[in-house]
Amino acid sequence: MQKSVVILAAVSIAGAALAEGALTLPEEGSISRADGQAAFERIYEVVTHPRCANCHVGEDNIPMWSGPSYGEARPHGMHINAGESRIGAEFLPCQTCHVTSDDFDTAPHAAPRFGIAWQLAPVEFEWFGKSRAEICAQLKDPERNGGRDWRGLVEHLEHDASLNGPVAWGWSPGGDRDPAPRTLEEHVEDMALWGAAGQPCPTD
Amino acid sequence: MKLTVNGTEHEVDVEPEMPLLWVLRDELNIKGPKYGCGIAQCGACTVHVDGMAVRSCQLPVGDLEGGVTTIEGLGTPERLHAVQAAWVAHQVAQCGYCQSGQIMQAAALLDLNPEPSDAEIDAVMSGNLCRCGTYPRIRAAIHDAAQKLSEA
Ligand code: FES
Ligand code: FES
Repeated sequence: MQKSVVILAAVSIAGAALAEGALTLPEEGSISRADGQAAFERIYEVVTHPRCANCHVGEDNIPMWSGPSYGEARPHGMHINAGESRIGAEFLPCQTCHVTSDDFDTAPHAAPRFGIAWQLAPVEFEWFGKSRAEICAQLKDPERNGGRDWRGLVEHLEHDASLNGPVAWGWSPGGDRDPAPRTLEEHVEDMALWGAAGQPCPTD
Repeated sequence: MKLTVNGTEHEVDVEPEMPLLWVLRDELNIKGPKYGCGIAQCGACTVHVDGMAVRSCQLPVGDLEGGVTTIEGLGTPERLHAVQAAWVAHQVAQCGYCQSGQIMQAAALLDLNPEPSDAEIDAVMSGNLCRCGTYPRIRAAIHDAAQKLSEA
C-alpha cells in the first residue's frame, strides 16, 4: 500500500514537471554538434534499454522479455504474437493481461501496465537489436517516425508521458523492473538538445 | 462502487486497487473464475469485459470500464454457449481447475476469429495453462464450436 502511494506520487510529479510544452526549446542551431552527439548517445542508451526496446521489435511482432531473473532478453513467453495490428487483435489482445491503469505498481512477474492501451510500437520504429546509426536514421526520418521534426519528437514524448503512457512508465515500471537510464525529464531535454544541434548522427 | 456482472448491477465497498477477481470471488461470491497465480501467468481467472477476455487478477476494480461476464453468465444449463456444449461433447475437462478460464478465453477467441486455424488456436490458448494437458481436446472442441456457431 505504502509502495503504491510512493510510486503514484512519483508519477504525478513526473506528469507535473512535464506539462505539455513545459520545456522551453533551445533555438535551432544554438547547440553545438558535439553536445548534440552527446545527447544522442544518451538517447540511444534509453531507447535500447529493455524497458523501451522490448516492445519496439521488428516485423515478427513478437515482444521481448528481460529482467533481473531472466538474463538476456528472450521472446515473450506463452507463444505471444501481437500480429500486424501490433495490439494482438489477430491472436490474444495485449490488453487481456496488460490492463489499462494509471497505477504502474504491479507485482514482479505480473503483467506490467500503463495508462493507455498496451501495444507494440509501430514496426517502422524498430529499435530492438539495432545499431546507433540505424536508430539515429530512423528517429530523424519523418517517413519512419510518425511524420515528426525534432520539435514533434519532443512534443510526442511530453504528450505520451502526460497520458501515463509507455514514455512515463519506462522510468517507473514497477515490479522490480529495471527503469530506463536517468530520468524522463533528462530524456526529453536530450531530444531537444539533439534536435537543436541539427540531429547529428554517429556516422555523419 | 458499482459494477455490472452477468447483467446484474452490484454495489461493493472495496479499495479501487482490489483486483476484479477478488471482488468477484470474495465480495460477490461468484466462484466460477479461479485463482491460479495472481500474476497473469495462468489464465484461470479469465472473464470478459465488454466481450474481451481479461485476466481478472490483473485488473484493479477501480480501472474497470464495462460490463463483466463470468462463466456463470456465458450460458445456462438449459442453453449452453456453443463453446460449453462442445466442451461437454469432447469431455475436455480433466481436473477442471483451468477450464472456466479456458472456456471464457475460447469464447472470446471465436468472437474475434470465427474460423481459427490450429496455429491460431495454439497462439491464443497458450496463455491459459492446463496442468492436466487437455490441449488436444481444447483444440478439437474449439473447431467444433466454430462449426456450430457458423451454422447458427
Ligand atoms: S490467476 Fe489470473 S492469470 Fe493466473
Ligand atoms: S483440466 Fe486440470 S488444469 Fe486443466
